[in-house]
Amino acid sequence: MPLHDQPAIFDMADAKPVISLDRVTVRFGDQVAVNDLTFSVAGEEVVALLGQTGAGKSTVLNLILGQIKATAGAVIVDGCDPYADYYALRGKVAVSFQTDRLLPWRTARENVELGLEILGRPKNSRSRVAAEWLNRLKLTEAHHDKYPHQLSGGMRQRVSLARALVVDPDLILLDESFSQLDHVTSKALRTDFLSLVKGLRKTCVLVTHRIDDALEMADRIIILAVPGEIKLELTLSGAARNDPAWISAATKQISAVMTAHSGEGAPESADAV
Amino acid sequence: MTGADVGPDASGSSPGRKLSQFLPRETVAGIIAIAALALAWHLASIYGPSYAFPTWGRIARALINIPLQDVGISIARLAVSMLLSFVIGMIFSTLVFERPFVEALLLPLVRLLMAVPAVCWVIFAILWFKGVEFRIFFVMSIVCTPVFIIDSLDAMKGVPLDLRQMVRSFRPDAVRYYTKLIFPSILPYVLTSWKINLTLAVRVVTIAELVGAVSGIGHGLVIAQEMFSIAEVFAWTVVLVLILLALQGLVNVIERRTLHWRTA
Ligand SMILES: Nc1ncnc2c1ncn2[C@@H]1O[C@H](COP(=O)(O)OP(=O)(O)O)[C@@H](O)[C@H]1O
Ligand SMILES: [Mg+2]
Repeated sequence: MPLHDQPAIFDMADAKPVISLDRVTVRFGDQVAVNDLTFSVAGEEVVALLGQTGAGKSTVLNLILGQIKATAGAVIVDGCDPYADYYALRGKVAVSFQTDRLLPWRTARENVELGLEILGRPKNSRSRVAAEWLNRLKLTEAHHDKYPHQLSGGMRQRVSLARALVVDPDLILLDESFSQLDHVTSKALRTDFLSLVKGLRKTCVLVTHRIDDALEMADRIIILAVPGEIKLELTLSGAARNDPAWISAATKQISAVMTAHSGEGAPESADAV
Repeated sequence: MTGADVGPDASGSSPGRKLSQFLPRETVAGIIAIAALALAWHLASIYGPSYAFPTWGRIARALINIPLQDVGISIARLAVSMLLSFVIGMIFSTLVFERPFVEALLLPLVRLLMAVPAVCWVIFAILWFKGVEFRIFFVMSIVCTPVFIIDSLDAMKGVPLDLRQMVRSFRPDAVRYYTKLIFPSILPYVLTSWKINLTLAVRVVTIAELVGAVSGIGHGLVIAQEMFSIAEVFAWTVVLVLILLALQGLVNVIERRTLHWRTA
């Protein structure tokens, strides 16, 4: 699988969205986790869902994954309902979580092979393909046959990302995948992951509560606040990303919006930068 | 999943080790205790009444004369009925797991079965069935299956939700969901369950054979008792203990083989 270096090109105007949520509400009992949420994600776009704990970010990912059903509204992923057409999205969506969720009885390489086995990919190439992806995620060969408990947190997260990418999904979802790592490890992993995703022109939705993660990785940032409502949306151009003044202004504005909507803060509408 | 390199600190043999490294303290203590008991028995056989305490010589002779065929028959009954109980138990747990309504319906019945003493099942079996072999089989299965069900179902429920969610994100069919996640996860608990169930099953097969069987260890015990041969009763007892220890040792070996990743 060759990696391309040119930046992803997407045209939101005429491309059919890969993900679209249309007036989606999710309730758990009396609690509203997501309220009347509408947004879409275009192919090859990297979108960050940014918000504090309890904002409904994971619930949105679970909707996209088809693990839960919307109480109201429509969720469409790659032209199907991810909950109702469960098997239609087989192999098209992959996810990585805050914790590595590796199977402790499998080596790093065997963990990466998991998705290939479940999807029934050719037996004789699984091990080689898994090793290739571990290499791409910069886990050295010496660690491929180690068990999770023998690896560091950063290494385990690399294995977890390799396990998601190896099935060659169109859409990759990350739920706080870099949040539990220290800053240096997290930064290195973010950079490696992003260059793979951009090189392979994958669509990616990443959930995070860290503003710097979102600003660094996303083409577009959607700021969510309790109960799963969009408070602010930002689009980042390449130029903006490299402009420290723009970044610091954006950081200020985002943190102001997040603070205003934490706890029982009064709702307030903010416009894009 | 064998042959993984264990790494540099899996120490091989090093020269100049003390005896205590070959024989752990606990093992030595155990040997001393058993030797003391054997000696006490020896003294009792000399000074006590011979009908109560046969000499080691008589016990050894009785052991040599134990019909191996009976031992084999009992082990076969044990193995076949336990394997069948295990398979039935796993199928049941698999069907009930993650189906709360089915579980609520069936699990109380399983717990009820489990509360019935094994001896009652033996008597029921005699009243209900004619065939000796079937009686033994019935008693063994009805005693062992519920234990396998309860243990495996508990273990399945213990599989972390985040792992279930992770595996489900690949949208597996039911077969792969179980073979890739649930079964490997519960393996340690299943092996423990086997060890506990073996203890139970060795007793039950003997009790079941005591009544009406014309072969097997239980039958041998009945004959020995009818002939007031304490040496033979003792010899059969030794055989039963050895069978249990050997089978548990077998499970331990399987445990070490399959769970080697834990110590890697
Ligand atoms: N399975 C569930 N059952 C009940 N409440 C839930 C469930 N999942 C999430 N919630 C609630 O929904 C709200 C949003 O949760 P979540 O989407 O996990 O937020 P985030 O990922 O942004 O921290 C929280 O208040 C949470 O308690
Ligand atoms: Mg979350």
